[in-house]
Amino acid sequence: MTGPETVLAAAVGDGLRHDPRSVPEAYDVPPAAWHEAVAALRAAGFTYLDFLTGVDRPDEAAVEVVAHLAAPDDRWRHLLLRTRTDAAAPGLASVADLHLGAAWHERETREMFGVEFAGGDPRPLLLTVAAPVPPLRKHALLTARGVVPWPGAADPADGPGGNPSRRRVRAPGVPEGWPRGEGS
Amino acid sequence: MTGTPAGPPPAARGVIGLDAAACTSCMLCVRECPDWCIELESHQEQVSEPGARRPRTVNVLDRFAIDWARCMYCGICVEVCPFDALAWSPEHRYAGAAPGDLVHDTARLGGWWPTGS
Repeated sequence: MTGPETVLAAAVGDGLRHDPRSVPEAYDVPPAAWHEAVAALRAAGFTYLDFLTGVDRPDEAAVEVVAHLAAPDDRWRHLLLRTRTDAAAPGLASVADLHLGAAWHERETREMFGVEFAGGDPRPLLLTVAAPVPPLRKHALLTARGVVPWPGAADPADGPGGNPSRRRVRAPGVPEGWPRGEGS
Repeated sequence: MTGTPAGPPPAARGVIGLDAAACTSCMLCVRECPDWCIELESHQEQVSEPGARRPRTVNVLDRFAIDWARCMYCGICVEVCPFDALAWSPEHRYAGAAPGDLVHDTARLGGWWPTGS
């Protein structure tokens, strides 16, 4: 069986990157080559799609899409195929024509990360009402975090015998005045 | 029985125990917990030492509680405690009939402190 790196290099060309630190082995491809990469791997024996999901990378202004693929006839050799889409308009080709099961994973990735899968099933999978910000994007804030009192606001110095001399700490990740202030 | 025939391995994340005598109410675990599942009530007292010019301020723990329904067993609280007052125990039989049964306070958390090797 031809190794995945050879197969991907032939399909994707210069844009292929192998991540030597990743376990399992991982390959990064440009988003425009996503469908070809998945097709080439499927033809090379990676016929089992375990999952497809997103990772928000706000420091890179990108939403990464990751697929975990395995080759049942090669002792279940498995790998991660990854790509970075533009966070402003995350979009990728659907691979549901290659792996039927990808349809559900793409529906969930669409509603949780806002990634548009061209040619894919546009129906939401889990959410009955679309969230204003895709819930698994890191800039999506939880209303509960603004209305539930943060246990960390308490301090031993607050009581009658106390000696308060420190500045107030705010809950990490909760903007000032949320949910009615900034970020709402 | 779960895990091996002898039970779960000693390092299994079953529950977190509290050594209340070691706790200084520094609030680090409460503030670092991603789930906000730790509650700590405390106050300050002035302690006079013989021979010292001024009394010193000490924190006194009143109540330490963890809500296991919210806890995600990440262990950040155990790692961050500067006084090793929190520790993992492989004990895991604490299912409750109501959500409130999963809030364990100071005494119950003290009972989970790991014993043995």
